[in-house]
Amino acid sequence: MSQLAALQRAFQTHILHANDAIQQAITGTPLAPATERLGIYSTAYRLRLLEALQTDYTALHAALGDEDFEQLCFAFIAAFPSTYPNLRWFGANMDAYLKATPPYLDIPVLAELASFEWAKGLTFDAADEDRLTIQDMAAIPGADWGRMTFQTHPSVQRLDFFSNAPLIWKAVAAAADPPQPSYTEEPLSWIIWRQNLSVYFRSLDKDEAWAIDSLLHGVNFAEICTGLCEWVDELHASQHAAGLLKGWLESGMIRSVHFKT
Amino acid sequence: MIAKKLRGRVARPIPSNAGIGLRARHYLDILSAPPAVGWFEAHSENYFAEGGLPLYYLERIRSDYPLSLHGVGLSLGSTDSLNIAHLRKLKSLIERFEPGLVSEHLSWGSVSERYFNDLLPLPYTEEALTHVICRIMQVQDFLSRQILIENVSSYLQYRQSTIPEWEFLAEISARSGCGILLDVNNIHVSAVNHRFDPLAYLHAIPAGAVQEIHLAGFDNSGECLIDTHATAVCDDVWTLYGHALAHVGNVPTLIEWDTDIPALPVLLEEARKADALLQEVRRERSA
Repeated sequence: MSQLAALQRAFQTHILHANDAIQQAITGTPLAPATERLGIYSTAYRLRLLEALQTDYTALHAALGDEDFEQLCFAFIAAFPSTYPNLRWFGANMDAYLKATPPYLDIPVLAELASFEWAKGLTFDAADEDRLTIQDMAAIPGADWGRMTFQTHPSVQRLDFFSNAPLIWKAVAAAADPPQPSYTEEPLSWIIWRQNLSVYFRSLDKDEAWAIDSLLHGVNFAEICTGLCEWVDELHASQHAAGLLKGWLESGMIRSVHFKT
Repeated sequence: MIAKKLRGRVARPIPSNAGIGLRARHYLDILSAPPAVGWFEAHSENYFAEGGLPLYYLERIRSDYPLSLHGVGLSLGSTDSLNIAHLRKLKSLIERFEPGLVSEHLSWGSVSERYFNDLLPLPYTEEALTHVICRIMQVQDFLSRQILIENVSSYLQYRQSTIPEWEFLAEISARSGCGILLDVNNIHVSAVNHRFDPLAYLHAIPAGAVQEIHLAGFDNSGECLIDTHATAVCDDVWTLYGHALAHVGNVPTLIEWDTDIPALPVLLEEARKADALLQEVRRERSA
């Protein structure tokens, strides 16, 4: 190993594992000995990553309070050293960490808050792409509608939550008192998307959630109509599917249409 | 060879007056009442996303102002391989926004693909010098353009260093063909922290290589000055900036303020101070 590589590895060991071997490579002064000088970097490392997590997880922060949030973040930083040159991505594993780590795993709303906040971030800066409009749809012959499949806009995210995490986030964002965490037996479905540069989210009824999930999996429109018969009678299934599609188009959730036999 | 080819190849020049760092909290103020400032500098990594609001605002502001891109994530001094995915994103951003200047730091920040997301100082040795020159040339080749390299603030020095930082920086520029982004605040901070003469640093820098200057504020931890970019430029740094201008002439100068970011007029006032000093040098040189 080169001298430079060895020095950098020793520096890393100091920052990540508080190993002091690097100290002998540092010039200290009486006012600022080597330990103090190294300490500036190791402290800054943790504070910088903490700040990134504070930016990404405002509602999780509010739910836990300053002290517990900091404790969580420092544990997360130790468990997941940054593998990203861009801090934008550092917090990517927070929901997985909360789901797997005591005591957080016993409070499922925390992981769901983290999932929701991370998904909102992904929606916020997802790729700019064209969107399919109702006018585009009007040009498609009726005979081809059954074969239509759709690509959603890159900003669209589908999530299911057992808790009221999105409502807690909404209250925190409005600087209101957040509701107490509550849970349902069955998960509630949510969709997050971006329109006109703003991020939106709403809950979905079971039929719409199923239809969106089918659409995301490349199921064609005829099959979606058939599947919706579980919730509406056969006579109205196509009309219901068309109504859902109109809503998605008006919300800018659909990127493009394709045709599949 | 590459150094000669790349020198001076810029798409849209940054004017030789003061600019300010572009921050999200100022987007709306800038668009609603475009300020009289020469240019903006954006942190490259803040615009690596594929869409959304940040890129929208950058497009709008770029249409009215010259832009420079300043990166913090390339980890040029690391012995890791260059992160090509990161470099590709930078290249794509450059192609889209045609910045007048593109800059990075004389520092390292990763080992075995673990990132510190920091600008760590290098040991100033022959080995590090050869390594960094090679990396900068790789980056310039990849981007097909010259980049500027900025001197960082540091809080420690390595016993193995054998070359003064100012000689190290000058040599990098001479051998890689990169330009220099001279951070005057960083010179002041490091000079206090390591007890060297900031004027000796300044005068060792090849004036013709300096294409941009940074000014910022720092905090005092008691043991060291810390380059926080959280305060106004201090008097000592303004004085050193005057010396820097006397040495390098009129050079685009950026006011950086990244933490506890104040209202836009505060930054504009700092930019006006820099412009006044730039104007003075312009008058003296034309007299």
